[in-house]
Amino acid sequence: MSPTQTAEESAMAALIVESLNLEDVEAAAIDPDAPLFGTGLGLDSIDALELALEISKRYGVQLRSDDPDNRKIFASLRALTAHVKANRPA
Amino acid sequence: MNPAPAALGGRDPGAPLLVDDGRLVSVGEFLGQATAVAARLAGVRQVVNLCERRGAFLTGYVGALAAGATTLLPASRAPEAVAAVQALFPGARTLDDGAVAAAGAGPVPAGGVPVAADCVAMIGFTSGSTGTPSHHAKVWGTVAQSTRLNAAAIRAALPAALRDRRPWILGTVPSQHMYGMELTVLVPLLEDFGLVTARPLLPAEVAAALAATPAPRVLVSTPAHLRAIVASGIALPRTEVVVSATAPLEATLAAAVETATGGTLLEMFGATETCILGTRRTALESDWRAYPGVRFVAEDSATRVETPWFRQGERLLDRIEMLPEGRFRLHGRSADLVDVAGKRASLADLTQRLLQVPGVVDAVVFQPAAGAPGLVRRLAALVVAPGLTPAALRSALAPAVDPVFMPRPLLLVAALPRTAAGKLPQAALEAALAHAHGGE
Repeated sequence: MSPTQTAEESAMAALIVESLNLEDVEAAAIDPDAPLFGTGLGLDSIDALELALEISKRYGVQLRSDDPDNRKIFASLRALTAHVKANRPA
Repeated sequence: MNPAPAALGGRDPGAPLLVDDGRLVSVGEFLGQATAVAARLAGVRQVVNLCERRGAFLTGYVGALAAGATTLLPASRAPEAVAAVQALFPGARTLDDGAVAAAGAGPVPAGGVPVAADCVAMIGFTSGSTGTPSHHAKVWGTVAQSTRLNAAAIRAALPAALRDRRPWILGTVPSQHMYGMELTVLVPLLEDFGLVTARPLLPAEVAAALAATPAPRVLVSTPAHLRAIVASGIALPRTEVVVSATAPLEATLAAAVETATGGTLLEMFGATETCILGTRRTALESDWRAYPGVRFVAEDSATRVETPWFRQGERLLDRIEMLPEGRFRLHGRSADLVDVAGKRASLADLTQRLLQVPGVVDAVVFQPAAGAPGLVRRLAALVVAPGLTPAALRSALAPAVDPVFMPRPLLLVAALPRTAAGKLPQAALEAALAHAHGGE
């Protein structure tokens, strides 16, 4: 049974899989609370750049983490979706 | 060779050196902190500097120099990479942010930190996709000379009216690799440049950090980072010089960077083995200008590089043609070597790694054709392994392969498109990749 994603998290998961060419990752199977970087999906800083670019195109949000060494906004699918939602232009 | 300059020698102790977390740090204050670190390194011969914060990294580096210790630069901060370096140098001391902060402040040496010309100032390790990492030792006399040329190239790219001002460097790259060491560590230590210690990655972070950087501004970056900045369309403060290295930069992207920053894009060419050897104004020219004294000698499909500041020539697996008037042209490198996000790997080594996974019958790792300018070219793999999944193959590779070289996509196929002679032409690999995509 796949973990529960909200509709917004599902859309973000699809964007991640599509923009980063994660061929064999099923968007619906991404655990909303698992880390995106390092151990989880194994993404790296180049992926962060790609993802930030797609998110700025799709949602009009320029991602910015106040602490570059502790990228909380990329901590998980849930954290990223919540951050983008909170910062979307009205 | 002339006597080697001291680190931070001939600098006014009251002059600014760093903007660290928004705070101005003077040359004198910095030297006091570095002396305190050195006092804790008495008797240590090698230091593995694992500091995350750029300011702490710099303090730890100068502390090591003052203690006469060599700084070791693992290929990454991954535990395996650090362990591999420690296995080669069992006596090495590790330094992290906490250790540097805890050292406090010591006396400020007049005239900076003297360093002998033959002191091994750093050893850079390259990941190497198999076995022991290969390493490259650099002596202080060599890096000091090379750094003088890097600083001169940056100064020459500044508008004439600003050439007598202190330039301030902001880097998107880590200090722990050779390019970051050369531009964000050695230039501020050996030339009168300031350094902003922030390490922004995302475009909005870069824009904010540049705004907090005193002018004239020098942004030290890579094609991947610059591509993201340009594509984001974000407004940047005027940045007089942008330096790019680690992978070739397309002329169109270089021109777009110049438009976005109002400055000059200076691309630098070098390698871990040699440090930087020349520059070009990529938006306007495709051939490179060699630093004075650099000589390239063709050797089969490789090139021997000689300079007055090397102790001996270095061999690069690039084909480089020397042109008149100190110009040179790159003709690509040995087909087996690939660059991904500034790191080099051998495709044959990576393929071998895959073939060693139990259950793999046949496999090939290759680099698909270029995409958009500046786009990082990931590697792809086609694997024949009945009963295995891509996830299982990635897990098997993970302990030994740097994440940037992890094939993506890693596709399972029934057979590789081998010719009758058993070869795998690039075109056939690309076709197989496209077919696998279409067949999903």
